[in-house]
Amino acid sequence: MGEFNVWTSLPAVAPEIGLTILAAVVLLLDAYLPKEKNRARNIAFVSAVSMAVLALTPFIWAPAPNTSELFWGGMVRHDALGQLFDVMILLAGAITVMIAVDDSGVGRRGEFHLIVIIVTLGGCILSSSADLVMIFVALETVSIPLYVLAAFRREDNKSSESGLKYFLFGSFASAILLYGFSFLYGLTGSTQLTAIAAGLNSEIVSGNLVAVLAALLMVIVGFGFKISAVPFHFWTPDVYEGAPTPVTAFVSVASKAGSFAVFMRFLIEAFGLPAVSADATSTLVVIDGQTIQTFWVNLLTVFSILSMTVGNVLALRQKNFKRLLAYSSIAQAGYTLMGLAALQAQSAIGQDIAMASITFYMFMYTFTNLVIFAGIILFVEATGRENIADFAGLQRRSPWLALAMTIGLLSLAGIPPAAGFFGKLFLFQAAVEANLVGLAMIGVLNAIVALYYYLIIIKIMYVDQGIDEDKPLAMPRSYAWVLGITSVVIIILGVIPTPIFDLAQQGAAAVRLAMGS
Amino acid sequence: MPPAVPTEFFVMLSMILFALGAMGVLLRKNAILVFMSVELMLNSANLALAAFARQWNEMDGHIFVFFVMTVAAAEVAIGLALIVAIFRHKQSINIDDLHQLEG
Amino acid sequence: MDILNNWAFVGIFAVMAPVFPALPIVIAWLLRPHKPNVLKSQTYECGVETVGDTWVQFRVQYYIYGLIFLVFDVEMVLLFPWAVAYNRLDLFAFAAGFLFIFLLADGLIYAWRKDVLAWK
Repeated sequence: MGEFNVWTSLPAVAPEIGLTILAAVVLLLDAYLPKEKNRARNIAFVSAVSMAVLALTPFIWAPAPNTSELFWGGMVRHDALGQLFDVMILLAGAITVMIAVDDSGVGRRGEFHLIVIIVTLGGCILSSSADLVMIFVALETVSIPLYVLAAFRREDNKSSESGLKYFLFGSFASAILLYGFSFLYGLTGSTQLTAIAAGLNSEIVSGNLVAVLAALLMVIVGFGFKISAVPFHFWTPDVYEGAPTPVTAFVSVASKAGSFAVFMRFLIEAFGLPAVSADATSTLVVIDGQTIQTFWVNLLTVFSILSMTVGNVLALRQKNFKRLLAYSSIAQAGYTLMGLAALQAQSAIGQDIAMASITFYMFMYTFTNLVIFAGIILFVEATGRENIADFAGLQRRSPWLALAMTIGLLSLAGIPPAAGFFGKLFLFQAAVEANLVGLAMIGVLNAIVALYYYLIIIKIMYVDQGIDEDKPLAMPRSYAWVLGITSVVIIILGVIPTPIFDLAQQGAAAVRLAMGS
Repeated sequence: MPPAVPTEFFVMLSMILFALGAMGVLLRKNAILVFMSVELMLNSANLALAAFARQWNEMDGHIFVFFVMTVAAAEVAIGLALIVAIFRHKQSINIDDLHQLEG
Repeated sequence: MDILNNWAFVGIFAVMAPVFPALPIVIAWLLRPHKPNVLKSQTYECGVETVGDTWVQFRVQYYIYGLIFLVFDVEMVLLFPWAVAYNRLDLFAFAAGFLFIFLLADGLIYAWRKDVLAWK
């Protein structure tokens, strides 16, 4: 795989190195700390603070501006997009550890925090992978510990069941993905994504259009499962409902963000982008006169429409809060797929906005989902119930909790001043830039349908009469911090989205230029 | 020296194994058999990778196979633990009995 | 043509091979008398009769041992190429191998401290 310099390659994986050391340290802490009351709490504190500090490393060892260079012999890319995904996954890990601390049966066991660190490590590698081997290993580093986490409450029937379901469907999807990878390797003789694009464009592959499309389809099925897009979504509601709530929160953000990042990279780097102007060169892979991009763009457009519609319509009749969020997350995956479909834009700005809007959406979605799940954990720990109707009168029981959850729900619904508004706006803008006005219209219609069930919850919390209204909910300090910080981040992103979005756009331009278009 | 077996034969075999595995996952009701079918699918991909690596006469495919084997071993460890956990609750590993979560 | 000839042999073998073991069984089945009684139908004709259920449950402990064995078993898959290319490795690759072993040892220490290595 060519020569590479170890020392210049190290900054590209700075967060990953930090996480590996952290994992080794936490493992030893869990083994050697004496048994006492605050043991797991101390481990959680060390893990959360370290991950939050590591979230700074992508900025300390930042990539050279406007570049997307390959490191470690073509295994990983070091660019602004990877940087942003690293930050959001690391913060998601830190927040998950913090909100798990007081969840009975989960946060009080030290190994929980260790496994969260390992998933975070996998997610960080995943978001910057540029090689099939790396993608597969990183994807499994994310998935396999998550199967364990979903089944973490062994004594709870629901938890083990959701773990087994997640495992069986997840490993099936991974196997399909791997088979697709093996064919891409077989056709081109390379595992590095840009080399695959070069190989697919060469003479050797001509006549093998069907094989390439079959391999691509298998890869899309695998990733479609990981991001829970319809029609590969059937595991989502069961796993979301059955898994311990902190785990559900983590599955919904870390695994999804990492998968979207690498899915985007895979489609761009292995199958190319259209020419950005009449005299620019196109990097699209063309086999037997057929452009491969046309195939996946149309397929993902269909999946996007299906995911938005099915997710939102099924969410309307849910009574369990976690199940509702599962369908909501399917719908959110549908909106984000719109950004991938918009990669067919034939202008530089269109392609950049498409990539940047996906990144921004995942960034704000991480905080949005975590604030809502933190609220649910707090509520369920206090009351033992997780149906939406049980949240009636929450505003009288805990005004701050109700406020934080309202901010989260407004963000999911896409109402300003919450960050979700700009998240959706950028995605719709990307779709319009790519001449997908119809798709954008369907997205807007879906957002209106979704308004209904998000606003109903806010109404229940503020207007409806609950049975236990006279019993205020206690708010532990760690939750107060998490709810406060995430809410503030959502509002800041919703008022001034430009710093993050501009950085994402620079990263997108770097990726586009690295492709040579 | 006997003629080398063409790569197509290996790929054909791997396709058959993959199809068998996929059918096993979709049709079987026993969690362990479903899981074994998944492993069969992973190994069919391994076979294809090794065959392709020989055809291209380079190492990347072989390295890929090593990593897939490692990942598969990790999956075995986790999968069997999950199946044992379920069996202790339900005294059954039939996936049709997994209906605690519906709605 | 060459390949076809070679494969023809395999085909002939594939057809003939099952016939050889099957033939004596079929002949014996045709010729033998058929008079079953209780004693003859028993599972064992000799030795001691089995006591209890054949489906013995293993301890979960055994599973954890199996798991730790598996980790170090699979370690060999990755260390083997490292060892084969040992003489041509630079310092970094040499260190990487040791880092890998160190991380696994970390896990072993964890298992040891958590008392799963003691046979109870």
